[in-house]
Amino acid sequence: MIEARVRSWSAWSVGREDADAWRRWAALPVPLERSGHPEARFLPPLMRRRCSPLSRIALTAAFECCDEQERGRCASVFASRHGNINESVDLLDRLAERQPLSPTVFSHTVHNAGAGLFSLAASNPRTSSSIAAQADTFGCGWLETLALLEREPELPALLVVADVPLESAFAGLVDEVEAAYGVALLLAASGPGEPLGFALEAASEAPARPPWPDAVEFLRWLLSGEPRLRLGEGERRFAWERRSSGPTRQSGGR
Amino acid sequence: MVNALGRSPEEIWPRLLAGDQSGMRARDDLVPGRSIVVADVPGELPAVPPRLRAYACRNNQLTLAALEAVRPDVEAAIAAVGRARVGVVMGTTTSGVGDAEAAIRHRHATGALSASFHYAQLELGGAAGFLAELLGVTGPAYTISTACSSGARALASARSLLALGLCDAVVAGATDSLCGLTANGFTALQALAEGITNPCSANRDGLTLGEGSVVFLATRDPGGIRLLGVGESSDAHHMSAPEPEGLGAERAMRAALADAATAPSEIAYLNLHGTGTPLNDLMECSAITRVFGDPPPMSSTKALVGHTLGAAGAMEAAFCWLALRAERAGTIPLIPHVYDGVPDPKLPPVHLAPRGGRVAAGPVLSNSFGFGGNNCSLVLGAEPA
Repeated sequence: MIEARVRSWSAWSVGREDADAWRRWAALPVPLERSGHPEARFLPPLMRRRCSPLSRIALTAAFECCDEQERGRCASVFASRHGNINESVDLLDRLAERQPLSPTVFSHTVHNAGAGLFSLAASNPRTSSSIAAQADTFGCGWLETLALLEREPELPALLVVADVPLESAFAGLVDEVEAAYGVALLLAASGPGEPLGFALEAASEAPARPPWPDAVEFLRWLLSGEPRLRLGEGERRFAWERRSSGPTRQSGGR
Repeated sequence: MVNALGRSPEEIWPRLLAGDQSGMRARDDLVPGRSIVVADVPGELPAVPPRLRAYACRNNQLTLAALEAVRPDVEAAIAAVGRARVGVVMGTTTSGVGDAEAAIRHRHATGALSASFHYAQLELGGAAGFLAELLGVTGPAYTISTACSSGARALASARSLLALGLCDAVVAGATDSLCGLTANGFTALQALAEGITNPCSANRDGLTLGEGSVVFLATRDPGGIRLLGVGESSDAHHMSAPEPEGLGAERAMRAALADAATAPSEIAYLNLHGTGTPLNDLMECSAITRVFGDPPPMSSTKALVGHTLGAAGAMEAAFCWLALRAERAGTIPLIPHVYDGVPDPKLPPVHLAPRGGRVAAGPVLSNSFGFGGNNCSLVLGAEPA
């Protein structure tokens, strides 16, 4: 297994904006709200105005998860199944009407908009990746974060997983739990934080699919004390296990 | 490998060395009321098999065309290590958005999306998911989408998955397809050249969009061409313009050289990001001069195959791979820098590679810099078998 330490975590969905709210949720989990986004008042007004709902969620989770020093020097991975597809569809509607596109909207709907905005807002000069992996987006986001830690093990790497449901033309086209949410996990190769082992496992009986996204199920497990977690449908299994009972520092509600 | 210059490395390589610009052509069907020069892939592409029709889009057809040349090696690797130990990492910025455009046009005309449209064609994760399902591999499969550095990052992450022991082989590469969204988006950004892009020229006025795909098989096996170094950084400057001094580009190149344990003076050839926009070429050449002092011969291949966006980092790494593989008697051929021959006095003096040139063999470096200030430099080198 590959070990990584969870230095801190944070998460956002409507009505759950701090760590205590997520602890209460983890004790009695229910499906999340399917729409909404935070105000993200920590962002400069111009940048905030240009942020999609997804970018606001992702940046809110990212900023809650780490303090100013950490967020200025961590590597980062932004994982999202849909990315800014709702905004892209608006652009496709304009194209269908032969209307010109806004350069600002175009550059803020790319998949790595969250990554770019994070580096700008946090003045972070380090590497930032941005991935998508259909139903395995959380597990592969974890892998990509391990990949960045493999390349640059000295400093922590921030994993931010966020999504909003598909709207308009494509709603209902995909079998996926619908929720507007973001989860951020600050991972490190060594040092303080809760040590977790991670492995890819051979296909086996699929674990029960919870009615909330994989990243949120991971957070529930992290807060639960349960020894192991397995995620993944189809033929891929992502497996985590606890290496000690040390507490995970959380930094929500700052 | 597939791009505007051909369908296979054998077809593309001599045309690259000749500085062939015949892949460039004007199209008036991408941007309303404007003809733009693009480097597209002409002709019919292989069809996505019916069992994978949910993935049937031009992007994945380009991937299929690129896969053809390496497929026997990929199948042999799957047989050797088992399908659970083979991963897929692909870079793309478009996935099948061009096909989604058609579906949306159909919806505007009829009220419903076209029946052949599936979300897997459009979603970015589908670029890797398609290849994994096609090959029947069950290792991790994901798409990296960091604008124009996506393809370079896909190779970097493939190396990491091998180093971590999570995979024994990784099918890694990148694909981007020409579509209305990128053509109109870059038009809106006023980033497109009037004619063919003219990198490093005093007359440069923008980029030329291209499309294509490249697929590598990455393993830990010794010998062959190695990814020696990866260097990454963020500009933290602007969402769509590079930082004008090239400080992020400089950090990425220095980090790649350090990771490869290679001195700047050892680099035999440098493949520029070289988009042909006024700002990119100035900041890139400034950064190169600071890193190298006396820089190696260099070229931008974007005047030959266009800017393939999400595929560019892997495509240009593949060009470097071909140059390294062409080593004869201690020298490697230089891919020429094709432009109008008018140097820009505002750029620091750089050595733009001539047609027919050769240099003493050594490691080579390739730059990729994307939207959001996302930078990735790769160092590749030949290893004795």
